[in-house]
Amino acid sequence: MEHIEIGATVLFRLGPLPVTNTIFSAWVTMAVLVGVSIAVTRRLKVVPTGLQNLVEYIVELLLGVCESTAGRSRGRQFLPVVATAFLFILTANWMGLIPGYGDTPWLRSANSDLNVTAAMALIIFFLAQGWAIKTQGPLGYLKEFIVPNPLHILSELSRPVSLAFRLFGNIFAGEVLLATMAAMIPVAIPAVFFGLEVFVGIVQALIFSMLSLVFLTIATTHHGSEEAHP
Amino acid sequence: METQFIPLAAGLAIGLGAIGPGIGIGYGAGKAMEAIGRNPEISGTILVPMLIGLGMAEAVAIYALVIAFLLVGKVV
Repeated sequence: MEHIEIGATVLFRLGPLPVTNTIFSAWVTMAVLVGVSIAVTRRLKVVPTGLQNLVEYIVELLLGVCESTAGRSRGRQFLPVVATAFLFILTANWMGLIPGYGDTPWLRSANSDLNVTAAMALIIFFLAQGWAIKTQGPLGYLKEFIVPNPLHILSELSRPVSLAFRLFGNIFAGEVLLATMAAMIPVAIPAVFFGLEVFVGIVQALIFSMLSLVFLTIATTHHGSEEAHP
Repeated sequence: METQFIPLAAGLAIGLGAIGPGIGIGYGAGKAMEAIGRNPEISGTILVPMLIGLGMAEAVAIYALVIAFLLVGKVV
């Protein structure tokens, strides 16, 4: 059985920055998402049909979830971040199941690299801090590190860590599992695990985006005034 | 060095690390089944929060698995 390689293969360098096969796969995922967006918005119809209908349905679904968690105005504000996270992670996970993806020179599932998941988690983290400062003012933001919960900084720091490792662990372990199963029993059984990975792909995308939404909502909630969570 | 113990360490890491999440996931799913049994109409509403809760519990097992991979891959 081949050796398990956690670090991704470096393809070439752009100046000082290495470009790995996972980054290239992330670019391919982005190209797919941008391509679908362009194809859908080229001739927008007021009453949508076909692909535009499907994409509008997905966006409305995500908007509904954002608004039910964060309220009407904040829901719309958070929608781009949460929907992008969900769609990118979902597309990257499912594309990683296409034959040809694996620890191959050019293609490896984008989220099976800790750098990719950590990057997304850090973006969510800094967005939460930035929006918290904006809604509560710098003094209110700093007060939170003391008043109700002195260990607030610990819980704030643990969130991006857990987000990054949860997604990385699930997708990387799934990749190893598929490779191991295919090497051990090449007939029929790997199909079961592909089904499992499809399920895990969408569940992890949902979990990452839902948790990001919840963290952003908590960060921008004025503490002291009891805001009801519907 | 004591590199002979690495496979044992990796096995223990994931083996012991999966006990807690296994119990937690079983308990959580069981509670969801109970809630559906009491009120079958909202089984759709229960599904998504249940999946999110199970995902959070499973993440702890994944942390243990990552440590096992790090040990086997001799990264740390």
